[in-house]
Amino acid sequence: MPDALLLDDVRHTFGGRRHGARPALSGLSLAVAPGEVVAMIGLNGAGKTTALRALAGRLRPAEGRARVLGHDPARLPVAAARRFGHVVGAALVDPALTVTENLRVAARLHGLPPRAVDGAVSSVVDLLDLASWAHARARTLSLGNAQRLGIACAVVHGPDALVLDEPTSALDPRGVVLVRELVRDRAANGAAVLVSSHHLDEVARVADRVLAVHDGRVVGTLQPGEADLERRFFALVLEADARLATRRAA
Amino acid sequence: MNALRTALLVEALVWRRATVQRLATPLLVTLVPVTSVGMTALARSGAAGGAGAAKLADYATGDIATTHLLVAGQILSVAVLMAGGFGVAAGFGQPLADGRAGAAFGLATPREALALARALVVLGWLAACVVGAVALTVGASAAVAASMSAPFGSSAWEAAGRALAAGLLGAGLVLPFAAVATATRSALATIGTLIGVVALTQLVVLVGAGAWFPYAVPSLWTGTGGPAAAAAIGGPALALTAAVAPAAAALVVVQWRRLTDV
Repeated sequence: MPDALLLDDVRHTFGGRRHGARPALSGLSLAVAPGEVVAMIGLNGAGKTTALRALAGRLRPAEGRARVLGHDPARLPVAAARRFGHVVGAALVDPALTVTENLRVAARLHGLPPRAVDGAVSSVVDLLDLASWAHARARTLSLGNAQRLGIACAVVHGPDALVLDEPTSALDPRGVVLVRELVRDRAANGAAVLVSSHHLDEVARVADRVLAVHDGRVVGTLQPGEADLERRFFALVLEADARLATRRAA
Repeated sequence: MNALRTALLVEALVWRRATVQRLATPLLVTLVPVTSVGMTALARSGAAGGAGAAKLADYATGDIATTHLLVAGQILSVAVLMAGGFGVAAGFGQPLADGRAGAAFGLATPREALALARALVVLGWLAACVVGAVALTVGASAAVAASMSAPFGSSAWEAAGRALAAGLLGAGLVLPFAAVATATRSALATIGTLIGVVALTQLVVLVGAGAWFPYAVPSLWTGTGGPAAAAAIGGPALALTAAVAPAAAALVVVQWRRLTDV
């Protein structure tokens, strides 16, 4: 089965060839198959969000190939876009609209036919426990509830490919469990899910594979079940730094 | 076409809730008639003095209803540009500045359809405000004229038509600021550009080139520069001014299609 989410040797430097510009992506490659949850972990500035922005179509990388369901995400055909969802940075949420209005808008923009909107909205409100805030304006929500609303807007149409950047960063323990269950449920329904996180414990619970990202590239793969994940992650980072130092010295 | 219809529905809902719209609608619709009738009354009262009196001198004579509607057209041609400029600064610049525009990528409704719909919704809102303001001014003017046993005749209706057309032309001149907002990704930079264009318009009029400068045309056409300047505005200048809106809308669509690094 072809990969639903793909980054192939992607390179990008913000600021182009300006002196002192530092590459954000230095040949990052990853692939996520349908039914698989892959997590990216890395330090701040490792390139995780930039990679996800390339997959969401928000950034055209200078080199390399990004593909979502086989298509260039910057020009996603409607049929593929109907099957894609993402939250990278700001979500598809208007602060002036209520929770329900935002979900209805998201459902329509993701291509759901009008007759399917009510059912989809009701289902995702239950799934992410947003019923108590259904008529609240998005701007009045707490950070955690706003994050859950953003995720709800990205999955209201039941996407087959899903990209989530730090989806649990503002959530309380119950919210974390809800999002974890949602991600696993999407994967069980055949969706390819790519998440980024700083939380090793959390990604160990949700992911089938964990990619360690450092200095704009994937420097190793961790198995969620393996012992002392944190130590293994730092070992991969240090090895990568050592390899880079050796190359520079040569 | 489906995508544009969906985008129009969504953008209309978002615009209905937008703070700029909620503030600007009552201001545009009520201040224009109040100011038109008030300024005409002040000019004819003899109470205005100094520089103000000189500016109001044109309104002190002639058919009162026609004067109300001429003033309404002059105010509308500028007020619509300012209100709409703030509207597109908020609607296009702010989501790009705070990153919300990034969520418009990868949707079944393409981002350029959303941008076009946003532009059309702002345009439609301004047009509705212009119609409302002119209708209220006609009503207020007719009431004032009736109370003074003055006529509300064909010249008043002609001035009302010109006020309506000038307001609509002014609304169309707002769309280039959507392109500015997209290019600068900043609401504040857009407002700065808007103020700069208004100042530039004054300069262009001052040197006598206003008849061919789209941002000066609606205002001059309604008599801001006097009857001679209004008469100098011909069909081609009006057509050029009217062409600004579709050209800017097309540019915004291209900009949003090519948008990256959001």
